[in-house]
Amino acid sequence: MAASVREKQTVALKRMLNFNAPPLKNTAAEPVWKVLIYDRFGQDIISPLLSVKELRDMGITLHLLLHSDRDPIPDVPAIYFVMPTEENIDRICQDLRNQLYESYCLNFISAISRSKLEDIASAALAANAVTQVTKVYDQYLNFITLEDDMFTLCHQNKELISYHAINRPDIKDTDMEAIMDTIVDSLFCFFVTLGAVPIIRCPRGNAAEMVAVKLDKKLRENLRDARNSLFTGDNMAAGQFSFQRPLFVLADRNVDMATPLHHTWTYQALIHDVLDYQLNRVVMEEGAGGEPSPAGARPKKKNRKTYDLTGADKFWQKHKGSPFPEVAESVQEELDTYRAQEDEVKHLKSIMGLEGEDEGAISMLSDNTAKLTSAVSSLPELLEKKRLIDLHTNVATAVLDHIKSRKLDVYFEYEEKLMSKSTLDKSLLDIISDPDAGTPEDKMRLFLIYYITAQQAPSESDLEQYKTALLDAGCDLSPLNYIKQWKAFTKMAATPANYVNSGVKPMGLFSRVMNSGSQFVMEGVKNLVLKQHNLPVTRILDNLMEMKSNPETDDYRYFDPKMLRGSESSIPRNKNPFQEAIVFVVGGGNYIEYQNLVDYAKFKQGKKVVYGCSELSNAAQFTKQLSQLGQK
Amino acid sequence: MTSSLGDVSVCLQRCSCCTDMAVDITLLFKASVKTVKTRNKAIGIGFDSTKDEIFKRSRPKSGFSAKAKEVITNITKLKDFLLQHRKDYVSAGSLISSDLTRMTDNERDQIDQDAQIFMRTCSEAIRQLRNEAVKQVSSAQIKEHRGAVLDLIEVYLRGVCKLYSEQRAIRVKRMVDKKRLSRLAPEHHGKVAKTPVVEPMEEKTVKEESSEKSVAEVVGNPVNLWEEGRVEDELSPEEIQMFEQENQRLVSEMNSLVDEVRQIEGKVVEISRLQEIFAEKVLQQETEIDGIHQLVVGATENVKEGNEDIREAIKNNAGFRVWILFFLVMCSFSLLFLDWYDS
Repeated sequence: MAASVREKQTVALKRMLNFNAPPLKNTAAEPVWKVLIYDRFGQDIISPLLSVKELRDMGITLHLLLHSDRDPIPDVPAIYFVMPTEENIDRICQDLRNQLYESYCLNFISAISRSKLEDIASAALAANAVTQVTKVYDQYLNFITLEDDMFTLCHQNKELISYHAINRPDIKDTDMEAIMDTIVDSLFCFFVTLGAVPIIRCPRGNAAEMVAVKLDKKLRENLRDARNSLFTGDNMAAGQFSFQRPLFVLADRNVDMATPLHHTWTYQALIHDVLDYQLNRVVMEEGAGGEPSPAGARPKKKNRKTYDLTGADKFWQKHKGSPFPEVAESVQEELDTYRAQEDEVKHLKSIMGLEGEDEGAISMLSDNTAKLTSAVSSLPELLEKKRLIDLHTNVATAVLDHIKSRKLDVYFEYEEKLMSKSTLDKSLLDIISDPDAGTPEDKMRLFLIYYITAQQAPSESDLEQYKTALLDAGCDLSPLNYIKQWKAFTKMAATPANYVNSGVKPMGLFSRVMNSGSQFVMEGVKNLVLKQHNLPVTRILDNLMEMKSNPETDDYRYFDPKMLRGSESSIPRNKNPFQEAIVFVVGGGNYIEYQNLVDYAKFKQGKKVVYGCSELSNAAQFTKQLSQLGQK
Repeated sequence: MTSSLGDVSVCLQRCSCCTDMAVDITLLFKASVKTVKTRNKAIGIGFDSTKDEIFKRSRPKSGFSAKAKEVITNITKLKDFLLQHRKDYVSAGSLISSDLTRMTDNERDQIDQDAQIFMRTCSEAIRQLRNEAVKQVSSAQIKEHRGAVLDLIEVYLRGVCKLYSEQRAIRVKRMVDKKRLSRLAPEHHGKVAKTPVVEPMEEKTVKEESSEKSVAEVVGNPVNLWEEGRVEDELSPEEIQMFEQENQRLVSEMNSLVDEVRQIEGKVVEISRLQEIFAEKVLQQETEIDGIHQLVVGATENVKEGNEDIREAIKNNAGFRVWILFFLVMCSFSLLFLDWYDS
C-alpha cells in the first residue's frame, strides 16, 4: 500500500473524469469541458475527495444530481457516475430518449448486471443514441474514503446496514442476505481499488463471520476467473511488488459495546460527538449562543455555517487526534504567529513610506524590495492561514461551549475510571442525580458503560435505585433492556470485554495556571492527559498482527482466497507478523477506535493500519439504535 | 506459497497511479446492443434507424460552442507560435550565436507586438462571448455551464500570456546585462593601457550620472590631485608611484561602484515585476470602482429628482392652501351677501 487508499481512490476518480485516460501533466493544455452527473452515492464518494475548485480545474463545468431536473445542453459530453439500481437505469434511459447531451460516458460505481446493461442498450436503440454512448465502465469504487487510512461503506442509506438492522430480532433471512451482499460488494470494491488480496481473519458465530465467508467466496471466484480477474496483469504487477499481503481483520460491534457510547477527549472524536459532522464537513450555527433571549423578543437569527475539514488543512492533520486542551493551546499559538507575520507586513508598509523621502538609502531600499516581494507573494498564504485559524477557533469554541454546559470532562474521567476498573471517587448515583451535569443522554450513556463494564451485574435494589434516578433525570430506559440481553448473551460466549491498561491523570492546578493566559478560558474544565491505552479492537489487531497467542483470538477463522481449497481450520499458514492491516467493524464504527488505531500504528513504527466500518455513528445515533432494539 | 516469498527482502513498491482499476465494459455493451437488435428483429419491432441518424448528425451545432472552440484554437495557435520562436527569441545573450538562428531586435519587437495584439483580440472575443451568452440563454444550468466554459478559456489564455511575459522578462534581463557588459569594457581598457587623464574623467562623469551623490565627493578628491599634478611637466618617480596608487584606488572604487550599480539594476527589475503585479491588481479593482461610480451617479440623480419632487409638493401644498382660503372667504362673503339680501 505505497499510496494510501485515499490517494488511490482520488487517482481513480480523476482518471474517470478525464474520460478514463491517464491525466496529462502538461499544465497549458487545451481545456476540454464536460458535465458530471452523479447520484447521492456518487456525491458521497466524491465530496470528501475532490473540492468544487478541483472539479472545475479538471474541466467539469456543471455537476448535477441524476434525479434532478436537467436541461438539455447539446454539444457537451456527459460523464455519469451512478449506482446500477433500477431507478438510476430508468433515469439514464430517459435521458437518452430526451437527447440531453452530446455523448454519454457511463461509469457504474459497482458492477452492473447483464440484464440492466441490456435495458440501457434497448433504450439507446429506441432513441437512436447508440453512437452517443461512448464508453461504459465498472469503476469498483463503492466505498467512501474519509481519511488517508479510514473508510466507511455508505452514508446515504446507512440505516439499512446499521447495527440496528443487523441485530434486530425480527430480521428475516432474505434481509440479512441483502445486507451481507451490500457489505461484501463494497468490501470487494475496496480490495479491487487497493489492488491486493488480503488474508482474512474473523471471529466465529456472528455477522462478521458471514461477511468473511461471502467475501472469501467472491474473491476466490474472481481470482479463478482467469479471463476477467481484476487482480492479475498490470494491476498486480505495478501495485504489489511488496511481497507481503495485508491482513484483513473483521470485527463485530458486539465485541465492544462500550466504546461507541464513550465520552471522548480528542479533537476529531469530540467534533463528531458534539457537533454535526458528516463526510468531513461540520455544520454549525453561528451567532451568540450563550445568552438566553428575553421573553417575548424574537430569537436572533442564526445563520448556519459549513466548514470543510480537509487533508490540505495542516493544523487539522496535525491536531485531529490530540486531546482538546492541546488543541486550544495550539490554536492560540497559531494565532500569535499569524499576528506576528501580519505585523511584519504592516511594519514593512511604514518602512516603505519612510524610505521614499530619504535619498541616500537606496541600498536599504533594495533589501526592502526583496522583503516586499516576499511579503506580496506570501499574502495569499497568510489569508488562507487566517481563514483556517478562524475556522478552528469557531469550531473549538463551539466544542468548548458544549463541554462546559454538559460537563463532559467529568463524564470522560469517570468513564475512563470505569473502563480501567480503578477506584471511583464519586458514586455513580451522585453523577446521575446531579441536575446540571449533562443531558439525559449523557447520563444514560454513563450508566450503560457502567453496566457493560461491571464484572457482576448490580443487585436488584441497586438497579432499581439507578433506574429511578435515571427516570428522574428524564432518560429513556429502553437501551438498558437491550444491553441486559446482550450482556447475558456475551456471558454465555464467555468473552468478557477487557479494558485494562487505560488510565487518566488529571493535571489540575498547574495546568490552570498555564491556561490562564490562553484565549480559551478553561476554568473549571480539567486538563486531562490521556495515557496510552488499548481498546479491545486494537488489542485484537495487535494479537493477530504479531501472531501472539491469546485465548481471545486463537479461535478466529482463517481465510486465504488465493489458496486452492478453502479450509475450516483456524491455523494460519503464514507465521510472520504482518506489516499492513485493515480492520473492519461490522455494525458501526466511530472515531475513538480510529484514533486508537492511529496511535497504535504510530507506536509500532513501520506498520500501516487502515480502519473501516460499515457506517459511522456517533454516540447519540448509537443510543437511538439501542433504544429501538430495546423497545422490541 | 506466498509465505516463502515474504522472506525475500526485496520490496519493490512502484507507484500504482498508472493502473486502471476500472473495467471497460464498452464491448459488453455493444454486444448487448447487438443482442437486443436481433431480439427486436425476431419479435418484429421495426424502426427506421437510418433516416433519423442522418438527421441527427446534421443537427446544427449551437453557435456558442463553435465560437468557444474557435477561440481555443486561436489561443493554441498563439501558444505554438510562441514556443516555436522561443529558442531564437531568448538567445539574445550569447554573442557567439550563428547568423542563421539569430533574430534581430526588430523581429523580436515584431513578435512582441503581434503577440500582444493577438492576446487582446482573444480577451475581447471572450468578453463578447460572455455578453452574448448572458443575453441569449434562458436556462440557469446552461448559463452556469457557459460561464464556467468561458472561465476555463480565460485561465488557458492567462497561462499562454504567462509564457509570453516570461520570455519577455528574460529578453529584458539579457538586454540589461548586455548593456552593462558593454559599459564595463572601455573601463577595462583604460586600466590596462594607462591612458591619459581624460579617459578616467569621462568614466567618472559617466559613473556620476548613474550613481549616488555621495560618490561624487569621493571622485572630487582625485580630480583635485590630478589638477595639481598637471602643473609640473615632468613626473618624478614618487609622483609616478603616487599616480599609480591613485590609479589603483580609482580602479577599485570603480569596481565597487560597478557592483553596486549591478545590484541596483537587479532590484529595479524586481521592482518592475512588482509593478506588474500591482498594475494587475489595480486593473482588477478598476471594474469594481466603475460599478461603484455608476451607482453613485445614479444615487445623485435620484436625490436630485427627489428634491425636485419635494419642491413641487411644497408648492402644490401652498397653492392648495391659498385656494382653500379663497374659497372659504368667498363662501363667507356670499353668506353675508345672502343674509343682507334676505333681510
